Amino acid sequence: MIGAVIAAGLVVLRLVSAGWAPEALPDRLRDFVTLSTSVVIESLPFVFLGILISIAVRFWVPERFIHRVMPKHPALRRVTISLVGVLLPVCECGNVPLARGFMMKGFSVPEAMTFLLAAPILNPVTIVTTYQAFGWDDGILVGRIAGGFVIANLVGWLFSRHPDPRSLLTARFDAACRLEASGHGPSTAGGRGFVPTARRAALAFAEETSTMLPALLVGSAIAGAIQVGLSRDVLVALGGNPIWSVLALMILAFVIAICSNVDAFFILAFGSTFLPGGIVAFLVFGAMVDVKMITLMKTTFTTAALVRLVALVALASLALGFGVNLLA
Amino acid sequence: MRDRIQSRWRGIVLSLIGIVAIVWLAVTGQLGLYIHPRYYEFTVVMAVLGGVMVLAAFAFVPGAAPDADGHDHGDGHDHGDGHDHADGHDHSASSASASARGVLWTALTALVVVGAVVALLVVPPSTLTTATVDQRDLNNAAAVSDAADSPQLTGGDTADFTVKDWASILRQGAGEKYFAGKSATLTGFVTPDPADPENVFYVARFVVTCCAVDAQPVGVPVYLPGWEAEHPVDSWVTVSGGFATNPSTSSAPAIVLEPASVQAVDQPAEPYVY
Repeated sequence: MIGAVIAAGLVVLRLVSAGWAPEALPDRLRDFVTLSTSVVIESLPFVFLGILISIAVRFWVPERFIHRVMPKHPALRRVTISLVGVLLPVCECGNVPLARGFMMKGFSVPEAMTFLLAAPILNPVTIVTTYQAFGWDDGILVGRIAGGFVIANLVGWLFSRHPDPRSLLTARFDAACRLEASGHGPSTAGGRGFVPTARRAALAFAEETSTMLPALLVGSAIAGAIQVGLSRDVLVALGGNPIWSVLALMILAFVIAICSNVDAFFILAFGSTFLPGGIVAFLVFGAMVDVKMITLMKTTFTTAALVRLVALVALASLALGFGVNLLA
Repeated sequence: MRDRIQSRWRGIVLSLIGIVAIVWLAVTGQLGLYIHPRYYEFTVVMAVLGGVMVLAAFAFVPGAAPDADGHDHGDGHDHGDGHDHADGHDHSASSASASARGVLWTALTALVVVGAVVALLVVPPSTLTTATVDQRDLNNAAAVSDAADSPQLTGGDTADFTVKDWASILRQGAGEKYFAGKSATLTGFVTPDPADPENVFYVARFVVTCCAVDAQPVGVPVYLPGWEAEHPVDSWVTVSGGFATNPSTSSAPAIVLEPASVQAVDQPAEPYVY
């Protein structure tokens, strides 16, 4: 009932305001709104998809199944997890809710990080679009896939050396995980059967969107604001230099915040201006980390953990980019 | 109550805002202002699925049991027993500062919700403007280079050429010989030439690869002294005419379109090119 009223109110608001002239706003502001809105409209479906799959994994995949399928050795487990993205062609913004679902299901923190970093690159849609954009030219496709795989596992291994990986999680999320693991969490409360499970799924959807959507909206607004405020010329001008092209494209990847499924098409347009190492760094770094992803990951990891994560991924991507430039 | 709004209703309301915005754009055929056509179906399907979940949430959440201990912390995960506080700060902070923090969070949430409503539902949808053209370097090699490789340009029928195609050819520096006798009819928005804004404007489009965030402007220069009197910046026009050497000495392009006619038109349903 309340829902119907709110929904009707929103629809009416939209219909009324549709007739207003956009020219009333100053150009800069108008473009800021358009750009931020386009990031939201592009990402929101992926976030929904990620949340839905995460709910499905939490409530409908039996725990025994996961434990039987997964290898015992930690490194092998992480390798397997980094390939899970092949089955789940979700763009990186949908991976954060999914990684949260995995952790609730008992995955360790380093494992979830490995998944988070690997899945946007090692998934069929990304591989196909990268192939369509670049073919086998200059080792860009191989550099992206192999580089993404190695970096994700490297970061996972480094974080697994941490004495207390759980301390990398925000206190709230850690508590939610512990509760779920104790067997009294929302995924088991209220009995079995379809209706109680559907009720829990609806609650989980409400809770996950409550955590994710504010982060997504803030991240999109930041991405839009940077786009309006920062001129592209500077970054593009640096493109031809073997060292600066890698750095410039990583910064571009960070601020532009587009999904890994399509970033290959975007950067293809720059193909002639930039060296291949820069492009590989763009495709690897941008898929793993960008302004929108950081606001999303902030819901789950502590700031200190995120700083380390970003620094590691950035260093590794730099090394990868320089390496490709040397070879190409 | 405030905690429950934070932990559950916040997401449901924000989802609903996003879903209404997407469905309305799809129904009125305006999704193209924001995203590439290849995402239309996926976006609409996910919006509908999201809508189903929102409906389910409206049906179930009001009846869901509150936490046994009566605390429901910001992230919204129930914890049936009272000794495992999700927040951590409850232990250290006094209840006064915890409550101040609660007020702050509520205010921030309200801000995000209002911002989302304004951006997604109140501001009428629009294309990008010349402000973004200035920011992104018109006819950057980036935007036009891949088009130049496409086979349709090397022997194609020039009548079908888009703004992007002509911009690529001009960029490649095809000589005057190539352009002799060729004419074009192009629709785009008006944006001034940075070097000679009095006499030269570009009939321009944005090239979109994924969503409007990656839009790259491309354009064909048009020589028409005093154009701004009749065709304001950012208005849409259809220009037809032949190509000629640029009479303007201060502007960069070597070859411009000399318009036989410039007509004001409505913005097309698909304002971007792909």
